[in-house]
Formats: sequence, C-alpha cells, structure tokens
Amino acid sequence: MTRYLALLGGGSGEEPLEVREVGPGLYEVKVRGRALRVDAVLAEGDTLSVLLEGTSFVAEVEPAGSGVKVRVQDSVFPLEVLDERRLRLRRPAGSFSLEGRQEVVAPLPGRVRKVLRGAGDEVREGEGVAILVALEMENEMRSPKAGRVVEVLVAEGEAVEGGARLFSVE
Amino acid sequence: MSERRRIRKVLVANRGEIAVRVIRTCREMGMATVAVYSDADRGGLHVRMADEAVHLGPSPARQSYLVPERILDAAARTGADAIHPGYGFLSERAEFNRACRDAGLTFVGPLPESQEAMGVKTSARGRMAAAGVPVVPGSDGPLSDEAEARACADRIGYPVMIKAAAGGGGKGMKRCDRAEALPALWQTARRESASAFGDDRLYLEKFLEEPRHVEVQVFADESGRTIHLGERECSVQRRHQKILEESPSPVVDEGMRSAMGKVAVAAARAVGYLGAGTVELLVDARRDFYFLEMNTRLQVEHPVTEMVTGLDLVRMQLEVAEGRPVPRQEEVERRGHAVEARVYAEDPAKGFLPSPGRITHLQVPGGPFVRNDSGVYAGWVVPPFYDPMISKLVAWAPGREQAIDRLWRALGEYRLQGIATNARYLRAVLRHPAFRAGDYDTGFCTRYAKDLLPAPDPALEEVALVAAAVAVHRRDRERAEALAARAGSGRGASSNWARLGRARALRGGRA
Repeated sequence: MTRYLALLGGGSGEEPLEVREVGPGLYEVKVRGRALRVDAVLAEGDTLSVLLEGTSFVAEVEPAGSGVKVRVQDSVFPLEVLDERRLRLRRPAGSFSLEGRQEVVAPLPGRVRKVLRGAGDEVREGEGVAILVALEMENEMRSPKAGRVVEVLVAEGEAVEGGARLFSVE
Repeated sequence: MSERRRIRKVLVANRGEIAVRVIRTCREMGMATVAVYSDADRGGLHVRMADEAVHLGPSPARQSYLVPERILDAAARTGADAIHPGYGFLSERAEFNRACRDAGLTFVGPLPESQEAMGVKTSARGRMAAAGVPVVPGSDGPLSDEAEARACADRIGYPVMIKAAAGGGGKGMKRCDRAEALPALWQTARRESASAFGDDRLYLEKFLEEPRHVEVQVFADESGRTIHLGERECSVQRRHQKILEESPSPVVDEGMRSAMGKVAVAAARAVGYLGAGTVELLVDARRDFYFLEMNTRLQVEHPVTEMVTGLDLVRMQLEVAEGRPVPRQEEVERRGHAVEARVYAEDPAKGFLPSPGRITHLQVPGGPFVRNDSGVYAGWVVPPFYDPMISKLVAWAPGREQAIDRLWRALGEYRLQGIATNARYLRAVLRHPAFRAGDYDTGFCTRYAKDLLPAPDPALEEVALVAAAVAVHRRDRERAEALAARAGSGRGASSNWARLGRARALRGGRA
C-alpha cells in the first residue's frame, strides 16, 4: 500500500490517495473514503486505459512541471501527486509563512558530503547549507528562508537517518 | 496540350502540411517533387516525402522560405520546371512570380499582373467597383495622413476599419469606434503594416457590425473559362484568424450561391485570373454581401471544397499550369457538407500561447469520411519559427449536423502529447448551440469566449485522481526496478559497492 497526497491545480484542495497493486494491471485505489477496483493499462505514450467498474475511460497523464496534467475527455486536471518523501521535501519550502526558526531535516537516509555554511552565517532563501548524498545523488539542502544559520547539527562524512535534523535557520 | 508544357518536376516552395499536401498530388500525377527546407525543418515530413530536397538556410523564414533567390537557385540545381508556392510565404509576391517566369519556370498560380492588381487592397477595391462588384463603403485609395483619414471616417461614419493597403491576415488592421481614438490607432496600424509588409499605406473601410465571412472558390484556365466551386463559411475566427470552416454556409441558399458565384467570377475576370483563387466576401445581417479581398493562391481551407465537390484542387492547379482546361460550370457538382478544424500548437488555458516543442506521442483520428492534413509525426519538434498550425482535420457527411458530430467525434480521438493544442476548444465550438444552429458571425469567439473554455467536468475529477495515482505508482515502481536492475548487473562502474565487491573478490574474500 502506497500513500499519496494529490494537490489539485490552482490550490483548490488536496486529496489523500492510497494505491495497492493487487494483480498485473489491477489496483485497489482508496479515494474520498471509497475503495475502488481499478483495471489500468498503459496503452501508448502517456495514455492509460482505465476500467472503473466496467466503464472505460481514457486518461492521458502527461508530466507538467513538477506535477502531471491529466486529461479525461475534454477536461484537464493539473495535479501534483506526492508520496510521503516528496511531501516532506516540499513542506519546509511550502506555501505557509516561514516565521521564526526553521528546522531542515534529511528527506532520505544518506551521508553528509559537505557542510557549506556554519552557525552564525547569513543565508539567502534557497541558498545551499549542506550537501546530502542519498540514492547516489547529491542533494543540496537549502535554507527555506533568508536569515541566519542558528546551528548545524551534522558534520561532513556523517551518516544520517531520514528525518534527521540537519540545521536550523532563523 | 503541347508536350513542351508538360510539368515533370515540381519544386514546392513551402513547408509543413501544405507542402505534404502538394507533394501527394504531384506523386499521384507522376510528377517528381523537390522539397526545400530550413535548418529547423531538416526532419520535416515534407523533406521525407519529396523525391529531392534542398537546404535553403537558417530557420527564420526571412532567411529561408522568404528568399526568392534561394528558391530559384534550388529549382535551377534540381532541374525543376514548375514552382508550387502553397499559401503564405512567397505565394502572393508578384515579384517572385515574375522572377519564376523570367527564369523559365512555370509558377503554379495566376499571372504576376493579377497578383499585383489584387495585392494592393486599395487598387483592388477600385477595380472591383468598376467591374460592378459590390465593395464595402470606404476610402477610394490609400489615405495620405491622419487628417485625411479623419475626414473620410466622418463621411462614411463610425465605426471604421483601418486597413493596410498591402495587408492580409489581420495584420495592420484596427477597428476604430470614435474620432478621438483615430490618431493612436492610425499610428499603431502604420507601424504594424510597415513591419509586416514593408509598406505603411493605409485605407479606411466602414466597419460592418459582426459580418459573416464567406468566401468563394474560383478557378480559371487559359482559355478564359472561369468557374466557381461554391462557398466556404469562415466566420469562426479568433483575432482575425480562421479556426473552423464549413461548406456550404448555413446562410447561403442556392439563389445566393449563384449570385455570389457570379460576383466572384466577375472579380476574377476583371484581373485576368488564372488557376485557383478565393474571393472573400463580407455578408451583413441582411445577407447583403461585399467584396473584401481576393487571395491569389490556394487557401488553407481548400479541403472543405474538395470534400463537397470531389475535386482535387491541387491537381486542377497543376492541370491549368500545363495549359489544360477546368471543368465547365455545369459539370461542378456539390454534395453533402464538410467542416474543417485547424489544430494549432497553442494552449487555450494560457491565453492561446503558442506551444512549440516535441510531440512525444501522436495518434491521429480515423473513421469514415475523416481527413487529416498534417505535416507532423511523433518525435517531431514543432519549431517556434513558423505558423503553429499542425493539422487540418476535415469531416464530410451528407448533412450539416452529421458532419459536425463527425468532426467533434474525430477531434476527440486526437492524442497529441508533449505539446498543448486547441483541440478541446475546437470541440467546444462544435458543441456550441449557436454554432450548431448556424447562427454565428465573426463575433462568435469573442461573444462566447467563456462557453468555449469550459471548466473541467467535476464528475471526471475522481477518474483523473485515480489515473494519476496509478500512473505515479507505476512510475515509482518502474524506477525502483530499474535501479535494482542496474545495481544487480554489476556494470555500475560508478558504484562504490560494486567496486568494493570486485576488490573483495580479487582478494579471495566473499562479496
């Protein structure tokens, strides 16, 4: 069972989703309090053939920016589907106001390759403070706001768990 | 026809769907074809379909498709004996036409003199009026300055249209409702006209309140036989650009068709016309019609006429160019109804912003009596340098309602991914009650702008959520599997784990 959060386009809401593959091309999807049996086959390109309780739908799920654009008949729904990891990555830089002290945590287990800023340093919003290597990829851990680095809780070379606090900015 | 006039090899001085369209007929007629292309169009469908292809130059049209010398040079190098200009680009440039003639090439179109006569809109108006063709009230010729324009506008009455004498395609065209607004609009129109046509002469016409735009297809051969193939209704326009055309027009009955046909034939005769041409007419609420302009080339929307007459207009063009006759008027039969939709690479949700880019996936509609004229394919990058039209989808049926339903159905089958298109917008037009009733004019798209961009259907939101969840789930699983496969294959030279494993194996240890 994988949990997702779908952000509807234009900030018009969010919907929790759960997907479980129950067979080849067969899924159980929980949406809006209902568990649906979904038969979905990738037909061609980004076109999914979806059978929902016997009704046949064609859904084109195209990548669009950081999300997807889903076209069903003449309706287009811009969506962003986030799993729990992506949700965490996104929350600190989310749209809510960043008043006060902000903690930045590791989105994934990994190893700290470099610490770019130390306690007391001034940082701009989006400026990298540390580099975390996870899944063989370097991820720059950026400051969610302009301010001053209050503390750095990790050292270069240190292995960290997912969710571990890395640094805080005020 | 003398053997000397036989066309053996045609250079198609155009790109995209129209180049493909012309090449198809040439092939059917056993004529060899030469494509020309810019840097951006090397991979274009027309290059692949032609027998030979010549590179013209850099991507901007000004440095490739619009350079007469390059086209003529390509014709000389390949030994082409005729040039088909398509529409747009050099198709209505009389000086290019003349240069073809001087080079001993057959220009598939009218004589340069006819193009000159119709090219300057003000002299065309004068000639038409003299030939007894009704013209929209307006100035007799280009106006020298703003003051003269004001005097003319006062005489014919507001609102007026400011138009470019060398114009076409809506450029340099401004509607002016009040005398106070005239100076600013006059200057804007002058600048637009100068940059679009290299000619800043302007004239005035009375603005007809929401006229219909109906055009008549004419054809003439060397013997002077001039016929018409009926009308096309082109009133569905967005910012003066046609997006949907149909034939017959819902407002034209047999009597009116015959009257319009006579006027169109008179207009063509007045300039000694040869080949395919289109006489554009404005029709007011009382169904009175006026000459607007004559397009001295094949029209984008010519397929709707082909569908109702069963005639191949490009074939007829080439036959006329070989000195062969056009059918007699009474031989032209019209049957049923055809509707064409222009599919553009543009995003209606973003103010119709052009959306060039790579087409990642393409499935073209099919089914009975559906025709798709296009110059694209899956993998093709729609270049940002030219008109963003990617296809013309046409449907025919015995009656209007069925033809509309058929085109609506076919548009719904279009799967074009990677770039945005206006297909949904076109579907909304075809579903609109005013369009279906035939009760529309050139104000249609503005008047019903809201109806034509409907909000997504909330009943489908759940389906979209389910599809997105499954798609993301599949993608994540595939990525995880790919990652596992790479790790398992041991080829990962960049992986420290793999290096460590190999090092241990070398030392005789267990990995």
